[in-house]
Amino acid sequence: MSFREKSAWITLVTVLVCFGAYFGAIATGLVSARGFDTLHLLLTCVVGLVLLQVVLTVIAAITTPKDGRAPRDERETLIQLRSQSLGYSVLVLLVLALFIPGHLGHTVIDMMNFALLDVVLAVLTVAVAQIVMFRRGA
Amino acid sequence: MDARRLPIANQIRRLRFEHGEMTQSELAEKIGMTRQTVAAVEAGKYSPSLEAAFRIAHVFGATLDEVFQWQE
Repeated sequence: MSFREKSAWITLVTVLVCFGAYFGAIATGLVSARGFDTLHLLLTCVVGLVLLQVVLTVIAAITTPKDGRAPRDERETLIQLRSQSLGYSVLVLLVLALFIPGHLGHTVIDMMNFALLDVVLAVLTVAVAQIVMFRRGA
Repeated sequence: MDARRLPIANQIRRLRFEHGEMTQSELAEKIGMTRQTVAAVEAGKYSPSLEAAFRIAHVFGATLDEVFQWQE
């Protein structure tokens, strides 16, 4: 497995774990969606995400053979462009969908969480698309 | 033919064998690509750019149509 594919897996897993914990805690009422608890949890999750990604990326770089760490080539660039294009489309659709909770009277904090969820889903889309294309060959 | 397989056949595997059993990694290094990309090209899952195709042919001292063939 190339370093770039491992990176996509790392993004997928770390974002799922960290933001899964964040949104899970809010959805289950473990933290109030209105107080500073949410902000603290968000900061904790973001710091956790960065640390996890740094550690796992270093491990991936060390464990990947030299031929898997070559500079990005044309196929990998194509995969990156296609996946980001798909992620952008998903993000645009989800941002447009924000009008729905906006008209249902949700608070500003709720709307910020919905927007954050949109970004997270777009990032996950990019990671999944990359993994699928790496697995399929292109 | 596999529905996802591109209509371009190639002789890379045979040419690698004929050139001292060159590995995919060695070919990848010579043309500035990753081993995974060479494997994808060889398996007919990825169609390389014209420049990459010429680079591959150049490594084997072959013409482009000796390496790649269009299949209807």
